[in-house]
Formats: sequence, structure tokens, C-alpha cells
Amino acid sequence: MKIGEKLSENILDKLSIDFLRNQVLKNAYGNNDTVIAGMDPRILLIWYLFFGLVPWFVSDIPFLIGCFVLVAVTTIMARVAGLVLFLFGLGVFSQTGYLLIVTLIFGGDASAIAPLLILTLKVATVSLASVTVFSGMDPDKLANGLMWYGCPERLSFSISYAYRMLPILMEEFQNILLSYRLRGNPPEHKSFIGKIKYLVYQIKIIIHSFYPLMLNTAKRSRTTVEVLEIKGYRYAAVNKNVKKIRLSCLKMSNNDLLFLAVSFLWIAVTILVSTLI
Amino acid sequence: MSNTMKNSANASQKLMVFVLTMALYGLATLFTELIPKFQVGIVEFSVEYFLFIPLTLAMLFDPMSVALGAATGELVFGEIMLGQFGGLGELEKFITVTIGVYIAGRLVSNPENRKLVGIAAFGGTAIQLLLGTVVDILKVQFAIEDFEAVAGLPESVFATEGFAFANDLLFSGILFCLLPTLFLVPKLHGKIEPLLGMQPRTKETALGNIGWKAILGCVVAFAVAVGAEFLAENGMSLIDWEADWAESSTAFAIGMVVAAAVAVVIVLVMRMRTKSEPVGKDV
Repeated sequence: MKIGEKLSENILDKLSIDFLRNQVLKNAYGNNDTVIAGMDPRILLIWYLFFGLVPWFVSDIPFLIGCFVLVAVTTIMARVAGLVLFLFGLGVFSQTGYLLIVTLIFGGDASAIAPLLILTLKVATVSLASVTVFSGMDPDKLANGLMWYGCPERLSFSISYAYRMLPILMEEFQNILLSYRLRGNPPEHKSFIGKIKYLVYQIKIIIHSFYPLMLNTAKRSRTTVEVLEIKGYRYAAVNKNVKKIRLSCLKMSNNDLLFLAVSFLWIAVTILVSTLI
Repeated sequence: MSNTMKNSANASQKLMVFVLTMALYGLATLFTELIPKFQVGIVEFSVEYFLFIPLTLAMLFDPMSVALGAATGELVFGEIMLGQFGGLGELEKFITVTIGVYIAGRLVSNPENRKLVGIAAFGGTAIQLLLGTVVDILKVQFAIEDFEAVAGLPESVFATEGFAFANDLLFSGILFCLLPTLFLVPKLHGKIEPLLGMQPRTKETALGNIGWKAILGCVVAFAVAVGAEFLAENGMSLIDWEADWAESSTAFAIGMVVAAAVAVVIVLVMRMRTKSEPVGKDV
């Protein structure tokens, strides 16, 4: 009983807003020195296009296992934050693991395992590939890479903006939340009904704190847009010369080619193995 | 649209609304992505949506900018920042959120009318969830080849998806969409618009009823979402064909391996050279 209490306390500790903020920031800014982060975003996006799409269409188990191993290795290379990996595991389970249990309840038998294994491998490969690319890359690099491929300027602007604003927004939200808590009087939460009341109270506070947050963010977004207008953002967004200048920092190196070549070799070997079996 | 000058925001105001919604809804989805869902049996209790944020804003500002901002915010904060970008599936979510929020925003002609706000909030959520459920069922059907062959699987998918829909709508829909929207819209109406330099929406300045064009646009957008899934189905048969062909020619696979090995060696040699030369030339 005591251990259980301690465990739940520990988990609740981990889930504080500070912890979440640290994990997100670490994920976004913390690993600029990895192999993956040093690569050209265009190459990584091509790579992602393959591993994000092809596994959906193939049902060959050796090939899927090969892809999975490769993206697992790249994920380790990208040194992704722990929380993201935990969420990945949870996501894969919630997509396919529970399906297996429900299938068994509805009278399926062991024959359900093979297709579900395929589905699990597909989901896992695709999401690990995206973890590698989107979590391992610098946000600005990612935005530049997307822009090079002709994605709408809005999207790359959103990515850059999000990464810069997120720490401020989170801090502001936390401050508002704390001030509400400070002024509020939370209900007793010893009994079961009290616990439900406490939960409702917490949710209410979160919803209430969005009221000042909305007003503050409205002011801030007006300032942002006005500053952008001063710099001629909407004109620059569609101007080819501006785009050229902005993208001139992208350079392909031998490392990128090596990465592509090794991935290609690995995939070729797995195809060979799957034809031999 | 005789009163265009009065009701439609100019381009920079639309950008402001876009940025505002993106930041707020993005922040909220970030939290929901990070908070694990807990399940009791197959009943999932999750704080699925902070959908009340874009719903509220769509009733106060230009619905299209809000809808696009919300979908982009979810994509950027909730998926890309956490490295959970899911490819095709995200397109579907993007489109369903856009449609749900847009319709809810267009329905409300007067934010002071509480009944209308309530109906619109609930209806928007229901539309979004329903579209998501339809696409989800199709997705599982296409992803597992022998869908019909596996005993018990079709029933279980329909049961869980149908249940998830009802559960989401009644739990998240009322608690997290309907009630907060009813609370926030009247409170913010007339206060938040001046901060962006706009006139508050009233009966006279509303965009008018949803026309055929809007409905047609929603249908087309949903068709695109489903089309992405049908693409998956077509791809499936394509690869089946490819697998047959691959079996017949192991030689081709060997050729591929050799080619790849040669490519690796060439790149390695190039790398060695650029390292030995002080002035490396970028390829």
C-alpha cells in the first residue's frame, strides 16, 4: 500500500507542468549536436517520405522488421527525449494492442496475431521515422527544408513561430493557473466523492484560466502581426528573391549522401532476405 | 455580401486571428498529447479536446482563419514539435477539425444568443467526431489486408469505434466543448475583438447563412480526406503485385544490394577525399 502510494506520488510529480515544459524544450532545443541534427533537412525529408509512406503499403514481415530496425537505430542516433518515446510506446499500444485484446473477446483466435503484428510493425515504423526526423531536427532547419520543397509559407512560419513562442506561452499559462490556484479554495479530496469534486475543480480552473490567456494572446498576436507587416512579411512571403536568400544556408554534405546510401543498402538487403525466405 | 466592408476582416487581421488560434489551440493540444489517457475496460476517459478554444474563437472572428489556424496549431504543436507526425493520418485530422470548427463558426450569427451558441458548439464537435470515426473505420479496414478473414475483427472495430464516438461526444463533447464555450463566448464577446482592432460580430454584421458553396466545399474536403485513405488501398494492391514480381527475381534484389553497396563505397571514398583535402567542395 505504501509503495503504491509512493509510486503514484512519484508519477504525479513527474507530470507537473514544469516537467512537461522541460521535456518539450529538451526535445526542441536539446539535441543540436547529434548526427541527425547535423544533416540536411531536404535529405531527411526524402528519407522520411520513404519510411513514412512505404511501410503502410507493404505487408511483407521481413521487410517491415528490417525497416523497423533501421528507424529504431536512427531514433537512438537522434537522442530523442524520454517522454516522447514513452508517448510513442503508449500510442502504438493504444492503436493495436487493445485491438488484439478486443478481438480475442469477440471470439477471434491466434490467427488474428499475424495481421495485427503487421499492423503494429507498420504503425511503429512510421511513427519512429517521424520521431527521428521531426524530433531530431532543429525546428528552423525543418521549416527551411519544408519551404524548399514549396510548402506554404504559412506552415514554415507557424513552425518557427511555435518554437519561439512556446516557452513564453507555457510560462504565461502556468502563471495564470498558479494565480487562480492561489486565490481559489480547493475542495477536500480525501474521500472518493471529494476526489471527483477536486478533479472537476481542477478542470474548471484550467478552463477559466483560458479567459485571460485568450485576451493576452490576442494582444500579443496583434503585436506580432504588426511587426511582421513593418518588415513586409506578406510581400516577402511570395517573393522569389527573398526565398532564395533565406534558403541559401542549405548545403548538402557527404554525410547526407552516406546516410542515404546506407539506408538504401539496408533496405536492399532486407528485400533480398524477404525474397530468399 | 453587400456589407463586405463592414464584416470581413482585412488580410492582416486574418493573419492575427490565425496566429492567435494557432498559438492557443496548439498549446492546449500539446497538453492533451502529453497527458496520458486512462482506460477503464474499453471505456476511455480522455481530455480529448480543448476544442472549445477554436469553437469560441470561430464564433467571434472570421471562421475560416480560425479553422485553419486551429488545424495548423494542432499539427505544429501537437504533432511536429513532439515528433509524432503521422503522415496520411494527419491530413484527415487537419481536414475534419477545419470542417467542424468552420461550420460551428458559420452557424452563429449572434454570439449573444446562447441557444444558438450551444447548438453550434455541440454540432461542430459532433461533425468533427463523426467524420473522424468514419475515416478511422476505413483506415483499419485498409491497413489490415485480411480484414474480413480474421474472425471477430470487423465487429470489434465497429464496436470500439462506435463506442469511442458516443463516449467522446457525450464525455468530451459536453464537458469540454459545450460548457466552456457557453461560458467563454458571452464573456469574450465585445472584449476580445477591439484588441485585434475589429468590430464585434452582431446580427447585422454576421456572414449570413451557410450557403451551398460552403457545404460543397466541406464535402469536397472530406472526399480528399477519404481519398487519402483510398490511396492507401490502391497502394496495397500495387505492392501485392510487386511482391509477386519480387519473388520471381532474387537476382534483381541481389543487383539492388550490389548497387547500394557500390553507392556506399563511392560516398565513403568521396568523404575520405574531402577530409584529406583542406578545401572540401560540397556536392
